[in-house]
Amino acid sequence: MSNEFNFSLKDYESNFKPTWCPGCGNFSQWRAIRQALVELELTPEEVVLVSGIGCSSHMPNFLKVYGLQTVHGRGIPVATGIRLANPDLTVLVYGGDGDIYGIGGNHFLHACRRNVDIITIVSNNFVYGLTTGQASATTPVGTITKTTPRGSIENPLNPITVAISAGATFVARGFSGDLQHLSYVIKEAIAHRGFAFVDVFSPCITFNKNQTFNYFREKVYKVEDTDHDKEDIYSALDLSNQRFIKDDLPIGIFYQIENKTTYEERDFTLNQGVIPAKAPLDLSKEQIDIITKEFY
Amino acid sequence: MTKDVIIRFVGSAGDGLVSLGDLFGKILKKHNFNVLGFRSYQSVIRGGYNEYQIRASTDEVLSVGENADIIVLLNKHVAEIHKVRVNSGNKVIYDNDYIDLDELEYPENIIKLPIPLASITKDISKLKVLKNIVGFGAISYILGLDEELVKEVIFEQFGDKGEEIVSTNYEALEKGYAYANENNWPVKWEKHKYGKAQQMIISGNEALALGMLSAGLKFYSGYPMTPATSIVHYLTRYLPKLGMIVKQTEDEIAAVGMAIGAAYCGARAATGTSGGGFSLMTELIGMAGIEEIPLVVINSQRAGPSTGMATKTEQADLFQVYGASQGEFPKVILAPSSIVEAFKVGIEAIEIAEKYQIVVIILMDLYLSEQIATVRKLDLERKNKRFGILKNPDENFTRYRITESGVSDRTLPGTKNGMFFTGSSERNERGTSIASTLAGLPETLPIRIEMVKKRMRKLDLILKEVEEPSVFGEEDSSITLVSWGSTKYIVREAINLLKDEGISAKQLHIKTINPFHTSQVRKILDDSKEILCIEQNYTGQMNDFIRMKTGFDIKHSFRRWDGEPIVPSQIIAKVKEVLNIE
Repeated sequence: MSNEFNFSLKDYESNFKPTWCPGCGNFSQWRAIRQALVELELTPEEVVLVSGIGCSSHMPNFLKVYGLQTVHGRGIPVATGIRLANPDLTVLVYGGDGDIYGIGGNHFLHACRRNVDIITIVSNNFVYGLTTGQASATTPVGTITKTTPRGSIENPLNPITVAISAGATFVARGFSGDLQHLSYVIKEAIAHRGFAFVDVFSPCITFNKNQTFNYFREKVYKVEDTDHDKEDIYSALDLSNQRFIKDDLPIGIFYQIENKTTYEERDFTLNQGVIPAKAPLDLSKEQIDIITKEFY
Repeated sequence: MTKDVIIRFVGSAGDGLVSLGDLFGKILKKHNFNVLGFRSYQSVIRGGYNEYQIRASTDEVLSVGENADIIVLLNKHVAEIHKVRVNSGNKVIYDNDYIDLDELEYPENIIKLPIPLASITKDISKLKVLKNIVGFGAISYILGLDEELVKEVIFEQFGDKGEEIVSTNYEALEKGYAYANENNWPVKWEKHKYGKAQQMIISGNEALALGMLSAGLKFYSGYPMTPATSIVHYLTRYLPKLGMIVKQTEDEIAAVGMAIGAAYCGARAATGTSGGGFSLMTELIGMAGIEEIPLVVINSQRAGPSTGMATKTEQADLFQVYGASQGEFPKVILAPSSIVEAFKVGIEAIEIAEKYQIVVIILMDLYLSEQIATVRKLDLERKNKRFGILKNPDENFTRYRITESGVSDRTLPGTKNGMFFTGSSERNERGTSIASTLAGLPETLPIRIEMVKKRMRKLDLILKEVEEPSVFGEEDSSITLVSWGSTKYIVREAINLLKDEGISAKQLHIKTINPFHTSQVRKILDDSKEILCIEQNYTGQMNDFIRMKTGFDIKHSFRRWDGEPIVPSQIIAKVKEVLNIE
């Protein structure tokens, strides 16, 4: 971080213009991420944004940071490797519900429990968009999609509940229709020490006629406007299950604890301040003696 | 005069066979013997039938050998099974507190050497494992080993466990030795002064790990899978002192993903598994390929398909790794043939990966990963150079610039002005995807053509750098034996034995599988008389591979796929069959 931070939103924009459908919820996330980076004074070179496959996963194309698009569902492990190799970097994972809750679900669970200091933002539109509209892990029961023409018969995953239960130390939700609040949530997620997770209600204007901007506008309310105690795991779990009880949808920070050590703080190498990415290992004579003693 | 002995310990999982074999290997090494040991075992934690065979020689040891001179039976269950494996003249040591070879109807033409291990041990300590040390004492007597040197090894092994443990071990050793002496056991070698060896005794996986460390390895990730897991075990042991990351992951997809992430930011990184885990890694291997991220992946083959035989060896993943991942991208495939070569390939792979920003696959197998052998001291000291990393790029930095070598400079995250996008889609020189809105546009067609060529031509340079196929033996031999990977020295032993019988055979051994030295291999085959391709699989994958690459069809083959390593006598028999020699 330089003393004179003079970067603006424009400086984080690549020369490749977003290819999302006009009106897509991803646009406001594209802006909210940049806004959070500027507010936190993170320069483009110290940020890595990793994604998977899907409409939302195109995101790193449109940002001027270090951007890496992986294959479907694998953003989290690649980002974990980046962060462990260089803990000086701010590492974000960005993907959709298909990418992170579906095909990448296993990595999501383990990232939550591992508490590596990375940020995972999921653009949740309740549908597979890039493959033109199939059911996803968050598609509500009864929804008609191309693969569920008689209505989806599977129960949807509740990502907030799952993340809290799996041990994530920051769990939040944003809404693409509320840019300022979304930007606030993402900023808090980046600033959090430990694994931070943000689920974003992000309507797919082409393939989802149910979870639309209007649908959410009528139902969302901000957790911050209530007396919710985000450090209380039971309240957080209660809150995360509300949408199944009442017909309103909380957005904001559900759960955050600061006192849990991160993976980096527990790792026997990283907690000595080592940055593995900096230089290859040159074994010293002493190291060679230690690691070969057992062979003599 | 050459001294050569094969000792086979037979026991169940839980009998301490591994530490017993390793310890005896060290004892023999201390006496300046060359040693090679291999454990044949089952996928059970307790019980079952396992063998640990060790061959020691004053000469070079090329294989673990076949007919054991000394057999040690550790329990009744395995003694019963082992009956069919004994040959005339074998010295069979067994615990007659528990085992009665007459009752088990062992053949009469063996030399039975009963020793009441349990009773002797009971007099010394409650520790049952001590009976193995009593056994060592008895074997030491037969082999004329130096008791003081044996004690030195025991001290090195147990010294930090306290004086009492050491002294009970010494006592056990002495009692075993004395028992053999008092009962006039046959002596194979008279006692003499042994020189002290400066050699290392090490497994294939450990040597590979040392090679990678020597080349600057900073990140290793893996998910437990036999026979690759011992690499993680070894590296983890010395973690904080090495300043590196070793990460056990949730699955092999995460293992390769994390290694790619680490390599992308500049850490020298590798991951390892066996065929099943390699299957899971495949998609991301292709991604590292198109994103030109340096990546080393170890596949230690075991008998497949699917779970196959988890603790048995095979060389049947050649086409799996060659064809790994969809589409076309360059990958280097190296198959080390020995423990020393595993060390060298560890260095080579890490370096080639960074230098050419390419995927390097190290194709091991269970036989090589798990064998232990004495080797000359491995030289780990290196000053590692960095390749192709720009520290101060200007604002026009172009990550995927088309170059003559195919290699473009890269920047590491954190570098000012070095920001670039990379993705699993095809791209232009700046990294921008040409797979979405630019796909199919007239101006993107030449970009695609050039990007593929840029990546692929790295292999042309690598071909000049990697080891050519090696030839051993007389040029005008009556037969050429073609081998690859871990069978190299087994074939070598067969060639030596054939020579003793007056049959000339030479060896063409292939270590570098991709890129392939097509013209060199073709020439050697053209210049050969009869040719026999030897491999540990059913379909003859190297046979097919050579035909595919060179157009040469090798007529004869010897293949073994029962899970046990090929032995020299099988090769010799096949050679005689091909040459019509009785």
